[in-house]
Amino acid sequence: MDTNKNSYTIIYTIVLVAVVATILAVVSTLLKPVQQTNIVVEKQMNILSSAFLAADAGNASDKNSYIQEQFARFVKEGIVVNANGDVIKSDNENIAQSDAFKISPAEQFDIMRKIASAKDEQQAQQLREQLQLPVFICDTPEGKKYILSCYGSGLWGPIWAYISVNNNLSTIYGALFDHKSETPGLGGEIVTDNFRNQFVDKVIVEGGAISHIKVVKGGAKDKAHEIDALSGATITSNAVQSMISMWLEYYMPYLQKLSQTTNAE
Amino acid sequence: MAMDKKIFTTPLIKSNPVTALVLGICSALAVTVKLEPAIVMAISVTLVTGFSSFLISLIRKTIPNRIRIIVQLVVVAMFVILIEQFLKAYVYDVSKQLSVYVGLIITNCIIMGRIEAFGLSEKPLPSLIDGLANGLGYGLVLVVVAFFRELLGSGTLYGMQIIPQSWYAAEGGHYLNNGLFIMPPMALILIGCLIWIQRCFQKDDTK
Amino acid sequence: MESLNLFVKSIFVDNMIFAYFLGMCSFLAVSKNVKTAAGLGLAVIFVLGITLPINYLLNKYLLSPGALAWVSPSLANVDLSFLSFIIFIAVIASFVQLVEMVVEKFSPSLYASLGIFLPLIAVNCAILGASLFMQEKAFATLGLATVYGLGSGVGWFLAIVSIAAIREKITYSNIPKPLQGLGITFIISGLMAIAFMGFMGISL
Repeated sequence: MDTNKNSYTIIYTIVLVAVVATILAVVSTLLKPVQQTNIVVEKQMNILSSAFLAADAGNASDKNSYIQEQFARFVKEGIVVNANGDVIKSDNENIAQSDAFKISPAEQFDIMRKIASAKDEQQAQQLREQLQLPVFICDTPEGKKYILSCYGSGLWGPIWAYISVNNNLSTIYGALFDHKSETPGLGGEIVTDNFRNQFVDKVIVEGGAISHIKVVKGGAKDKAHEIDALSGATITSNAVQSMISMWLEYYMPYLQKLSQTTNAE
Repeated sequence: MAMDKKIFTTPLIKSNPVTALVLGICSALAVTVKLEPAIVMAISVTLVTGFSSFLISLIRKTIPNRIRIIVQLVVVAMFVILIEQFLKAYVYDVSKQLSVYVGLIITNCIIMGRIEAFGLSEKPLPSLIDGLANGLGYGLVLVVVAFFRELLGSGTLYGMQIIPQSWYAAEGGHYLNNGLFIMPPMALILIGCLIWIQRCFQKDDTK
Repeated sequence: MESLNLFVKSIFVDNMIFAYFLGMCSFLAVSKNVKTAAGLGLAVIFVLGITLPINYLLNKYLLSPGALAWVSPSLANVDLSFLSFIIFIAVIASFVQLVEMVVEKFSPSLYASLGIFLPLIAVNCAILGASLFMQEKAFATLGLATVYGLGSGVGWFLAIVSIAAIREKITYSNIPKPLQGLGITFIISGLMAIAFMGFMGISL
C-alpha cells in the first residue's frame, strides 16, 4: 500500500487520534475517583497535622482510610466566615464535603491581592465582601481548636499553611506548612517539624488586637512572637511571615467576635 | 539471544544515553535531589521508552513518512499521560514532587532518539529490549546522581537518616549538610564528573 | 510593572537552563560556536513567543476543568486536562514544522547550519516545559503568558550564547583528556548556574 498518499495520511491521523483519545479518556475516567480522593485526603491530612492529629499516618497500613477516620472523628465543624467576622455557613457533618472544605485558599488569596492593589476604598470594600474564609473546629484530646487556613506566594511558587488556634483564641496550638516548589533543603524546610514546632504557643492575639509573628534571622529572642528564619531561605521565611499576617488580619474580626461570645458565656 | 543480550547491556554503561550520547538530560536533573523521585522517574522513563519503541516498531510499516514525528510524539505522549494518571492515583506524594517533569518525559530526547534509531527499523521485541535498556541506562545515572545529592545534601538516603544525628552542630557535632548539593548546579557538575570517570576507563572513546 | 517583573524573572531567576535544566540536549549539542548558538537561540525565542500564547488560549478555553463552559453550560463539568500534554506537544510540533519550512525557504544558510536541530526544537524540553509551567502558574492574562514565553526564550538564548562563547575559548585550554568536550561543558554550566543563583529572589 502507498503510505504517502494524502488520503492515507489523513485517515491514518484520524484513526490514530481517535484511538489514543479513547484510551486516554477511559483510563482517566477510571482513575479519576482515586486521584480526587488523594487530593481530598491530602487536604484532610494537612488540616489534621496542624493540630497534631495525623502523627501516625506514616505507620498506618492504609493511610487514606486512617486519615479519613481521624478527620471524621476529630473535625467537628466546618464553617465559612466573611471578612466582617460573621459566620456565613456552618456544617456539622460530612466536613469533607462541606462548603468550608471546598473553599480554595488560592482563590481567596487572589482576592486579597486584588484588595491590596485596589484603586479606591469602594473597590476594596466590594472585593472584601466576596471573601470567604474557612475555619475548621476540632475537638482534640487537649480541648477545642480552631484551624485557620493560609495561602501565599513563596520564592518559586505558592506556599500554604493551616494554623490551629487554642481555645483561648490568642495562642497557636500547632501549624502545618506546605509548598509547591520551594528549593528542597532551603525554603522546602518549612515542612519540617523543626520549623513547624517553633510556632507552638506563639501569641497571635494580645488584648483583643492582632499581634504579628515575626520571622527573624540569627536567633529569635522574643519567645512569644519571634520565629527563627530558615538559614539560606530568607525569601521563603519572609513569605511565611507576610502570609500569616495577611490572613490573620482577615480572620481577626471573626476571632474578636468569637472571644466576645465565649467571654459572655 | 546473544544479540538480544548485547542490545540490553551496551546502553547501560558503554553507550549510556546520558553520559556517552548526551541525550535526555533535560527533564531529569531537577528530580535528582532525593532518591525516591529519581527512582520513580527512572522507572517511568524506562517504561515509556520500552513501550513506545515497541508500539512504534509494531506499526512502523504503516506510518506515513511525512507525519512520522507527529505520530511518534502522539504515541509517546499517550504513554506519558498514562504514567502520569497512574502516578497521580497511586503514588500521589511522588507525583507532586515530580510535577511538570513527568510531562517533560515526552520531550526526553532518549525516547525519540531510540525510536528514530532503533524502533523504526527493527522488529518489536528487540525494540522493546533496546528501549527498556536505554531507559535503565538513563535511570542508572539518575540514581547515582540522586544518591550523592541526597547523601551529601540532606544526609539521608531514600528518606532515612544516614549521617548520625549526633554529628550535627545542633547535637554538639561539627557536621553540616552541604547545601550546594541540593541546588540544581551541583547536578550538572556531578554529571560532568561521571563523564570524566567514564571516559578515563574508556580510552577508545574518541568524542 | 507586573509584566516587566515577570519578564526579568523569567530570564534570570527562572532561567530555563540554569534553574530547570530544560532544553539541555540542544544546549549541549549546538553550543560549539556562537553563531549557530545564536541562531538556535533566536529560533527558540520565536517558537516560545508564539506557541505559549496559543497553548495558553487552548488551556483556558479547552483543557482546564470547566473550561468548556463557554460552549454550553452543560459542558461545565468536563475536565479535559488529561489531554494537555498531547495537545501542547501537537501545537509545538506542527508550529516547528512550519518554522522549518519558512527558514528553509528564506535563509538556506541558517537552515544548513542548524541542520538536524530545527526539528529537535519540537522535542526541546524548554518549549514544552514553558507551556507546562504556564499551565501550573495559571497566568491571569494572555499578555502575561506571552511575556513569560518571550522571557524564557531570552533566558535560554542568553544561556546558550554565553556557553558557546566560553566553549570557543576553552578549545585552546589544557584540560585533562577525558574531561575535554562534554565533561568540562557540564561543569562550566554548573558553575554558570551557581552564578545565576545570585539572581534568586530579585523582583522589581
